[in-house]
Amino acid sequence: MSKVQPDAPIAAQPAMIDGIFRALADPTRRDVLERLSDHPASVSELAAPHTMALPSFLEHLKILEGCGLVSSRKVGRVRTYSLAPDRLRLAEDWLGTQRRLWEGRLDRMDAYLLKLNKEESA
Amino acid sequence: MTFPMPQIDPDLDLVLEREIDVPVELVWKVWTTPEHLVHWFVPKPWTVTACTIDLRPGGAFNTTMRSPEGEEFPGSGCYLDVVPNERLIFTDTLLPGFRPAPAPFFTAGLFLTPTDSGTRYKAIALHGDAAARQRHEEMGFHDGWGTVVGQMVDYIKAM
Repeated sequence: MSKVQPDAPIAAQPAMIDGIFRALADPTRRDVLERLSDHPASVSELAAPHTMALPSFLEHLKILEGCGLVSSRKVGRVRTYSLAPDRLRLAEDWLGTQRRLWEGRLDRMDAYLLKLNKEESA
Repeated sequence: MTFPMPQIDPDLDLVLEREIDVPVELVWKVWTTPEHLVHWFVPKPWTVTACTIDLRPGGAFNTTMRSPEGEEFPGSGCYLDVVPNERLIFTDTLLPGFRPAPAPFFTAGLFLTPTDSGTRYKAIALHGDAAARQRHEEMGFHDGWGTVVGQMVDYIKAM
């Protein structure tokens, strides 16, 4: 997966959108985002460090950070993750664009049908 | 003194069972000796860079896992029940010496039964509530714990 720079221009590149939706398509990763929406958290707050499941979990964090949905900062031995809401807005914008497109189409179809109806009954 | 067996609650707990073709004595040995445990305990390419084992109730079971990027994750817990070649129960809810842990998560049990071809291997993870069970499952319990059983068997065969 391509690593997206945190300061990349906000004009959504298709690859960015792909990465965001791929990241969102997993319940563990969505759960992390929900938990981070409350407050930033360290790895040990997000996961238990004494289980063999930790490496798989860290892969999920890497994917979230890779597509820019979260960012992390290391202070001493503790790495803290926080939400990067700008990146989530790209997904929202994409969905918004699709919605407006379809609303526009349906509105035009609606108007056309009304016009047809009027012509038929005339 | 014998301790009660943990009761599995499917809403709270996770279980992994395998039939493996290595003897119980060797499984016990690689689970309870740091110089053996470091070779298989975490899914590769992760490694264990430090391990302390004080094999008695209340004794330390500490491991430091290291990611391929070089970041280290120390984990600490203690043993609760130690019956050689039979069962090993440990937890991260208590630190060595029974001190309550600041971020308790689970208690794990390893149960070994000899079979004709080797060992019936049962690992369980007990949690305090359904949310912790679900989080552990989503974190990758089956994948992670399953992968290391394979690594352990390979390591024992190469010993």
